[in-house]
Amino acid sequence: MAAVKINELHKCDLPWIIEYDESKCIQCGKCTAACSFNAIKPAVVERKKSNSIFEKNKCEKVLIIKQNISLDNYCTGCGMCANVCPNDAIKAVRNKDDKYSVAYRAKKADSLKKGGRSNLNTEGRTLDKIKIGRISQMTDPSLDATRHTFEIKTPFGRVLSADKLNFEVKNGKVTPTATLPPNSWIYPVIFGDMSIGAVSWRMWEAMAIATAYLNEVMGIPIRMCTGEGGIPTSLLKSRYVKYMILQIASGHFGWNRIIEAMPDMTDDPAGILIKIGQGAKPGDGGLLMASKVARYVQEIRGVPKADLLSPPTHQGLYSIEESVQKMFLSMNAAFKFRVPVAIKVAASATSVSVYNNLLRDPYNIVGGFFLDGLAGGTGAAHEISLNHTGHPITSKLRDCYLAAVHQGRQGEIPLFAGGGLGQTGSFAADVFKLICLGANGVFCGRTILEIAGCIGNDIGKCNSCNTGKCPAGIATQDKCLVSRLDVDTVAQNLVNYILATDFELKKLMAPVGCSTLPIGRSDALITVDKHISNRLEIQYAC
Amino acid sequence: MKVCKIKAYSDSERMSTQALFQLIYEKVQEGFCDFEIDACGQHDIACALWAKKKNKKLNFKIKNPGQRVGAMALNNTKIVVEGSATSDVGWLNSGAEIVVLGNAGDTASHCAASGKIYIGGSVGTRSGALMKYDPKFSAPEFWVLKNAGSFSFEFMGGGIGVICGYDCDSLKSVLGNRSCVGMVGGVIYARGNIEGLASCVCIKKLEKEDKDFLLNGLKKFLKEINKEKILKELTQFNDWKKIVPIDSKEKKKNIPVSEFRKNNWFREGIFGDLVDDTADVYALAQSGAARLRKPVWDSKNCVKCDICLNNCPQKAIVKDEKTLSYCAADEKCIGCAICAAVCPKQVWQMKKK
Amino acid sequence: MCRIGAIKSKNKVHPSLALKLMRSQQEGHDDSGFAFIMQDMGGLFENYKDLPLLSMAATTEGTRITEDILQGLGFSRVMQWSPDINNKKNLKIEAMQNYIFEVVQYPRSYKHATKEEKEELLIDTALKIRTALEKTNSGYIYSFWPDTLTLKEIGSPKDIGTYFNLWEGNKDLVSSIITAQCRQNTNYDIVRYAAHPFFLEGYCGLVNGENTFYEKNKYYQMKLYKGYCGFESDSQCLLYTLHYIHKILKWPLQYFKHVITPLEYDEIIKRKDKDTLLRIKASLANLEINGPNTFLGVTPDKELICVCDSKKLRPVVIGKNDNMVIMTSEVIGINDVMPDRNISDDIYPSENELIIIKDDLSTQRWQQ
Repeated sequence: MAAVKINELHKCDLPWIIEYDESKCIQCGKCTAACSFNAIKPAVVERKKSNSIFEKNKCEKVLIIKQNISLDNYCTGCGMCANVCPNDAIKAVRNKDDKYSVAYRAKKADSLKKGGRSNLNTEGRTLDKIKIGRISQMTDPSLDATRHTFEIKTPFGRVLSADKLNFEVKNGKVTPTATLPPNSWIYPVIFGDMSIGAVSWRMWEAMAIATAYLNEVMGIPIRMCTGEGGIPTSLLKSRYVKYMILQIASGHFGWNRIIEAMPDMTDDPAGILIKIGQGAKPGDGGLLMASKVARYVQEIRGVPKADLLSPPTHQGLYSIEESVQKMFLSMNAAFKFRVPVAIKVAASATSVSVYNNLLRDPYNIVGGFFLDGLAGGTGAAHEISLNHTGHPITSKLRDCYLAAVHQGRQGEIPLFAGGGLGQTGSFAADVFKLICLGANGVFCGRTILEIAGCIGNDIGKCNSCNTGKCPAGIATQDKCLVSRLDVDTVAQNLVNYILATDFELKKLMAPVGCSTLPIGRSDALITVDKHISNRLEIQYAC
Repeated sequence: MKVCKIKAYSDSERMSTQALFQLIYEKVQEGFCDFEIDACGQHDIACALWAKKKNKKLNFKIKNPGQRVGAMALNNTKIVVEGSATSDVGWLNSGAEIVVLGNAGDTASHCAASGKIYIGGSVGTRSGALMKYDPKFSAPEFWVLKNAGSFSFEFMGGGIGVICGYDCDSLKSVLGNRSCVGMVGGVIYARGNIEGLASCVCIKKLEKEDKDFLLNGLKKFLKEINKEKILKELTQFNDWKKIVPIDSKEKKKNIPVSEFRKNNWFREGIFGDLVDDTADVYALAQSGAARLRKPVWDSKNCVKCDICLNNCPQKAIVKDEKTLSYCAADEKCIGCAICAAVCPKQVWQMKKK
Repeated sequence: MCRIGAIKSKNKVHPSLALKLMRSQQEGHDDSGFAFIMQDMGGLFENYKDLPLLSMAATTEGTRITEDILQGLGFSRVMQWSPDINNKKNLKIEAMQNYIFEVVQYPRSYKHATKEEKEELLIDTALKIRTALEKTNSGYIYSFWPDTLTLKEIGSPKDIGTYFNLWEGNKDLVSSIITAQCRQNTNYDIVRYAAHPFFLEGYCGLVNGENTFYEKNKYYQMKLYKGYCGFESDSQCLLYTLHYIHKILKWPLQYFKHVITPLEYDEIIKRKDKDTLLRIKASLANLEINGPNTFLGVTPDKELICVCDSKKLRPVVIGKNDNMVIMTSEVIGINDVMPDRNISDDIYPSENELIIIKDDLSTQRWQQ
């Protein structure tokens, strides 16, 4: 047997330890077959037959399941082994004494990369300390969530103040005289923005199908943001493109195909989203690890199989004025000024300045401001960015809304908030509270993945989207793994979840007595935290 | 006994509801059964009263009553309001016969549980809301000569509403907009245009018993509001519709998403031209193409000990007796790597697929 | 709940009619206040219709402060009227020291000023007086505008009527339009400014209801126009919206309805004017009301309007005869003052209706 040395990697250094009960194991091999991380293996070991000191060296060879001790093939706690085990013989247990991140850096001289979520921000979410505390009872009646009608729609696109609409009054009617910025009414929840590449083709298609179904069968005008990884030409040329918000980030991946498809497009897309930053890793560009750059991804993106790093900034945009001109104007121009063009930035101490600038833009070409908070997810990031950079969404969203109020321009550039919504299982409540604080709507990625079957969580379970080994077939391009994902089931679950959310939103609108979205109705909220009360300007209650 | 006449105001002075009630209680105790009240908006007139002598009828003739005239009124009470009444006429009516010769305001007949309410004009919004039927008593009836305001018969649970739509030809809907929201029981008969009904109800044709009910009821109703002349006009039963809640079993279900994908989506999927995908869905540990890894046998060191064959949980390993070679059958092997682990000579290599 | 009423009459009428209109509706409110605004005055004010009329209640100090401001700006007093006070005991009223109703002449420098310039002067002056009175807690200015008289007080409407000797009609204090409300604002503080009717530059508004979008409305209106101030009551917001739509944007009255209770998207897209309505819905989303409200209003063109919330959660009825139209919360009030009208002409407005009573008393029922 090889000698064990102190500076080698040991089982106790790993983040998860496999607990294996030999007496229950029937050696069916399902756990090792299912483990996409190759973190466990069957192994033959020697067992002493008897503990009697009189029976010398009587050993037998037995087959057991063993954990791999490796920086690359290690257990992420995804739990697939326990899921397939017919006998509860195996499971992964969190290792409190984990030293993996130290060992990784010490051995590889490289930064640690992760996918999924940050692992440091699960304590005391602001949104969980806010309640809906203004209930209609006597002065005004509450509504019936099941039976009354509610309008759950929000404008998307630049909204002009009434005096700038240039309406002409004629024969007792007012009519628009000038071309006005494009504006549409959408559901206040946006799917996205996850690129083809970051998620598997089946996952992406399931989202697209759910979006189409919700629009065409349920009459819920939900929109999906494509992420920046191109979009299949077939979809671009179909009517379904009108439910899609096309994203452009600094890599501009896939845009040549979009441009080439334009002459054959029958419908306009729902919007364009210029991604400047991402809440999970602000100031960092997109990252797609080579393991996920499948052949078709290479094709759509026009790149070889390699780690794809997008620059942190759009080349050539070094001021807000330039951004407005280059990105917004060009995107507006490309779609003949018929499609709202919005921007997504990571929540940051500077977000309000950006928002103020955009509100004052004299050309009125910014159609939405997407703010992404630090609890958002990502397909891949350096752990240092994921865990230590960013700004929580709630106060920043509120700051932006109040900055607009200060100028008397609330609602002119619709605000959409994202980043960690539904983190504690209350997605609809998060949406409602953010809307009351001033959001027109929200966008969500992580919740969608969890609906689809993602098993990760905020305390370090799995979060291996960067590895391409996603055991759920979501954040991978491995054909075997992707085939685990049933497009119909995922799409159905997404549809069901949105229907449930829709009803839950009504269950919150009804007692407040609102039949339309209570955008900016912070009077409906209370908090039991004095600091939150001061910071967000909502009522303190105890 | 004589009629008790009460005038409930003079100039700036107005009797409070409580003062009026105390006076009425007194008079009832004195044995009065017939009242004529010149009111000034006092609320709840004739609420929950009964004559001193059992089974004697109480009669109220009221001018200008306030809200909830005839609220919680009992059987053996008859109320006639001259002119129009304000909101909540006959709220929770529990058996009284209430006649309003003019219009009634909002939420007339709200929660009425039995008795009859006759309105000689129109009624306001949310009228007939939450009417109910307790089988121990006769079903409440609510008769309206003209039309109802919007949101009429909201959450109705039982009883009968009759909206005659008289002189209402210009209206888009004699039931107002968004009528019958949340209606689960009872029946509404309406004459004239109907629009904007909630999706939980349906319109049915009148059967013979419906017509009989209407004919008899209309005779009585029109007599009470002094409009007997129009009986013929109102009994053209082709003009009438009957509205009942939809049986919950009949409510249609949404099509499954898979159905939508089959019928409306791209036949090959949107990635059809980009990815070779059979659309099969694999289980977590499954044989064949689903395997993450696959064992490959190399003859070089093999000692034909059959340990792999004996240990394979799927009985996937096949030994060719002629050539003495081994292989893992694709249709059985799940790629568990047990063969590779147990082989004393490392003959089996797991290859990533 | 409030009980509100608006009277428009061919023959000028005395506020006693408003008291009588509200009398039977007493138990629909809490007997906590009475306020009215008279527009298109007759009687004593008949000859001063073009001159600003100041209505206020103040302490002696407040009166002095106000006079100083008016003088300082060059206004000169033309006529003053004081109500005949009946100070009998045990009246439920919280009376102020002075009630001032004063007609003033514009400063000399305004001799050739345009209507707009004069209006600007009046609103600026009113705001200046208001600020000065607020600073010293010495009184309330209700209106400062030609042909408009406002009285508001805390107490029982019956006793307020007695205190100001309003139960007996006369020919001195009359007007063709009277709007009145019973009840002080009891949702928030009892403040005289919180009592309807509210007045701004010829527009008058009173509301029965609770504007649940008060905070949204307020935040937005605070930046829209200097005259949008106070916000002591959520109902003021509706008057400001009417003023904004009609006076500042110069849109027809129908659009007031489209702004405060916008149609649902699904309904709008079926319409020809969908482009306009969708823009309005988005641009003026902050002026939507979403709670129960019945709004009665008066425009500078002497038109009455009546609008309800989109669920029609508050009562209102309109009765009329050849000489008069009355809008009020409950039909019983109309029964009292207009017993002989034809009740089949009574209008019960629906949730999607805007009713306009034109100056000639003709009725327009406009469906949204």
